[in-house]
Amino acid sequence: MRRLNNLFPFTKQGAHSARPVSPIPWRDALWVLPFFFFIFLLVFLPSASLLSGSFQDKRGNFTLQNYLDLFKPSILSAYWISIRISLASALGGGLLGFMMAYGITVGGLPRRLRTALLTFSGVASNFAGVPLAFAFMATLGRTGLITVLIQTLFGINLYERGFSIYSFWGLTFTYIYFQFPLMILIITPALDGLRREWREAAQILGASSWEYWRRVALPVLTPSILGAMILLFGNAFGAYATALSLTGGVINLVTTLIGAQIKGDVLQNLGLGYALAMGMVVVMAIMISIYYLLRRYSERWLKI
Amino acid sequence: MAFLVLSHVSKAFGQTQAVKDFNLEVEKGEFISFLGPSGCGKTTTLRMIAGFEQPTEGQILLEGEDITFRPPHQRNVGMVFQSYALFPNMTVAQNIAFGLEVRKMDRAKIKERVHEVLSLIQLEDYGGRYPYQLSGGQQQRVALARALAIRPRLLLLDEPLSALDAKIRLELRQEIRRIQQALGITTIYVTHDQEEALSLSDRIVVMNQGQIEQIGTPFEIYNYPQSEFVASFVGQLNLLPVEVLDLSKNICRVAGQEIRFTPTTNSILKSGKVRLAIRPEEIRLGMVEGENLLRGEIASVIFLGSIIRLRVKLGEGILISVDQFNERHFQPPRPGEVVTLHFPIHACWLL
Amino acid sequence: MKRNLRLGLLWSWFWMILGWLYFLLPLLATFLFSLRAKKDTLSFLAYERVFKDPNFWKTFAFSLEIGLITILAGLVLIVPTAYWIRLRLPRLRMITEFVSMLPFVVPAIVLVFGLIRVFSGAPFYLTNTYMGTNALLVAAYIVLALPYLYRAIDTGLAAIDVRALTEAAQSLGAGWPVILLRIILPNLRVAMISAAFLTLATVMGEFTIASFLVGIKAFGPYMSLVGQNKTYESSSLAIISFVLTWAFMGFIQLFSRGRAEAAPPGAH
Repeated sequence: MRRLNNLFPFTKQGAHSARPVSPIPWRDALWVLPFFFFIFLLVFLPSASLLSGSFQDKRGNFTLQNYLDLFKPSILSAYWISIRISLASALGGGLLGFMMAYGITVGGLPRRLRTALLTFSGVASNFAGVPLAFAFMATLGRTGLITVLIQTLFGINLYERGFSIYSFWGLTFTYIYFQFPLMILIITPALDGLRREWREAAQILGASSWEYWRRVALPVLTPSILGAMILLFGNAFGAYATALSLTGGVINLVTTLIGAQIKGDVLQNLGLGYALAMGMVVVMAIMISIYYLLRRYSERWLKI
Repeated sequence: MAFLVLSHVSKAFGQTQAVKDFNLEVEKGEFISFLGPSGCGKTTTLRMIAGFEQPTEGQILLEGEDITFRPPHQRNVGMVFQSYALFPNMTVAQNIAFGLEVRKMDRAKIKERVHEVLSLIQLEDYGGRYPYQLSGGQQQRVALARALAIRPRLLLLDEPLSALDAKIRLELRQEIRRIQQALGITTIYVTHDQEEALSLSDRIVVMNQGQIEQIGTPFEIYNYPQSEFVASFVGQLNLLPVEVLDLSKNICRVAGQEIRFTPTTNSILKSGKVRLAIRPEEIRLGMVEGENLLRGEIASVIFLGSIIRLRVKLGEGILISVDQFNERHFQPPRPGEVVTLHFPIHACWLL
Repeated sequence: MKRNLRLGLLWSWFWMILGWLYFLLPLLATFLFSLRAKKDTLSFLAYERVFKDPNFWKTFAFSLEIGLITILAGLVLIVPTAYWIRLRLPRLRMITEFVSMLPFVVPAIVLVFGLIRVFSGAPFYLTNTYMGTNALLVAAYIVLALPYLYRAIDTGLAAIDVRALTEAAQSLGAGWPVILLRIILPNLRVAMISAAFLTLATVMGEFTIASFLVGIKAFGPYMSLVGQNKTYESSSLAIISFVLTWAFMGFIQLFSRGRAEAAPPGAH
């Protein structure tokens, strides 16, 4: 299991062998200082700054008002819909991506398809923002390709039935476009790590394909799948460009709210922006904690 | 009819012919080894018996039933893999119980059976451990127990000891034989290690390039190899260029020295290139009247522990290996010394 | 067995086709739409207009430049670090792996918000100068590309036995510069190339950070601006940006395949 070269360590199944604990030699540590200094400057300092800013009012005095403002219904609903879209697109994209990755790893599809799919996943997982929004408007918009197609083929008008590209489902479908390729990239190495012998051993012991998946393959994959879901969730939760071009002011997501605070239009309230940002970090932290708890349980058979 | 019959079994992967016209009958309770170098088709044949591969031609019968195209999970056959293939997410006991659970056996009986096989492999206290907490040898014993727990009709072992240390390998080898005999289970064992095949098997099937070279008891395979391949693959063998002087009197010449050999029945002699075959352990230092004698110069002395291997130069480019048992008082000759070697007439034959 | 196998294959194909449809249909729709710039007839007018717009080329060149600098700076920062951690400080790997995943925890919008707050004021005043702003943009992109950069490099290092190579070089008398430049870097070529293109693909269309730091000087915000004003051009831009990203990926495949074929058989 530990030979997996995973692109994303959150999904890594094996932990590293424990070495005897001794202090890190400072001369060796000197070499990696620039990197950590960079991270400190570019990630921790800004985060800390946002944290301190979130506790200040416009004049710089301490206040909790920014956090209290988060509990306004409009803002709570922004968080709620962000979380829902992230969950839905992570689950949908995760399922589609998993099934496709299954096809090219153990599903017996031709080898060439694998290369093509992995390349495409690299492209599509980076395809976001305005171009993506436009692609989906042209597809599922009021006069989009699919909308028209469904209208002519089945006589069903999606928009009369309450669908809109600017709605929860519209956004979710759009997000899935960059979610499932990411899932493919993450989960393929894990599926490659399933050993043929496990399947064969299960078979010869009398297990059907389904029993093998339920009792062996899925439990083995669970840590990887959990990790992948976290990344997918984060990926959708932090999406700004796509949301901005698609929501068109109809739906407020957390990211577009933050954007509005920075941009300095009428709504500007920097303190609230900081608090909103901290809220996002907190949501992610909660998700990651849940992930670690689940992984602890699902990985109890792994050497730590 | 025999317990397991493979008749005219062939397997092709695209253009490559992995197994060609394989015929074998195995009796109930027999221990059969498939022996050969890697890529000789032994594993493919085993996998066809297990059901992981399907023959392109031929038939496989188990207890009279045609199982050629039956899926593996309906064959009731046990298999042990080189890489153990224990399910990493299950404890030892859960691994062993797996095959019984998918058979919907009742819980109490499963518990009993798990306990029974655990004691068979002498790992009674390890039921609650996960595979990563076991050594390689222990893992393979659990894999064996897992395969046996379902009371298979047939036990298949695919190079089960190859991934283990030399010492563990020896131990486990004896254990496999002990368990096999205790249960009387029909077993097929794939290996490239001649020592394993010789020590374990009732019969050995030597394979090369997808074909059977010879089927026989270990004794027959070692002492009466029917082809050059078998002779040189199983055990060490000297093959010396000879000039046949008189076929009717069984006399030939090796490096200018006359040698008498065992009468040869097969037709190899007519095939042109003829060589004298003799095992290194049949040759001794010194002179003995009535036996074959060869004189040569010691080229090198290799110390192998229990034996000492001498390389003796008989003529230009003709070297012969001689194995001597090591003894405390034995003074091995030095390179450059001229020595006389002797060996019985029945020890050498033409190939 | 045969039936089961066929059923499984059918299952695999079903999802594969569904996925490819999901992938291709929006592109097709966009493409068809982009051809309708002229009334009642299909034409490449929208593409012509895009290519004639000097701002298209200006912003494209700007983002490309920023992307290349990001790659260079990112590699200089990360390669020695990843190498040293693999060689001497394996215990830090857990930490660096976590750090390399930070962009998933701290979204771009939060990151840029914080960056502006920290670096626009004392003592940095980075956003007051052209160079300073661009430097900040590059630094932010390094953070953004960290998951790709770090993972690709680290995976590349895992594929070669760093310790054995280093010790072999040392025993032959090589010093650190020689080891890094002549042993480690050549062996990391493929990993670095793939990291580079993934980074470029990320940077080229990036909107969030660019729009707050440099505005429509960058390609992403430019696309957005066009999208707000000109419908057909924006869909042709979407196609162009997709083709571009695809081209980068093609390069990666090309480079990594050239390497794979040169590798001795049985190496994997």
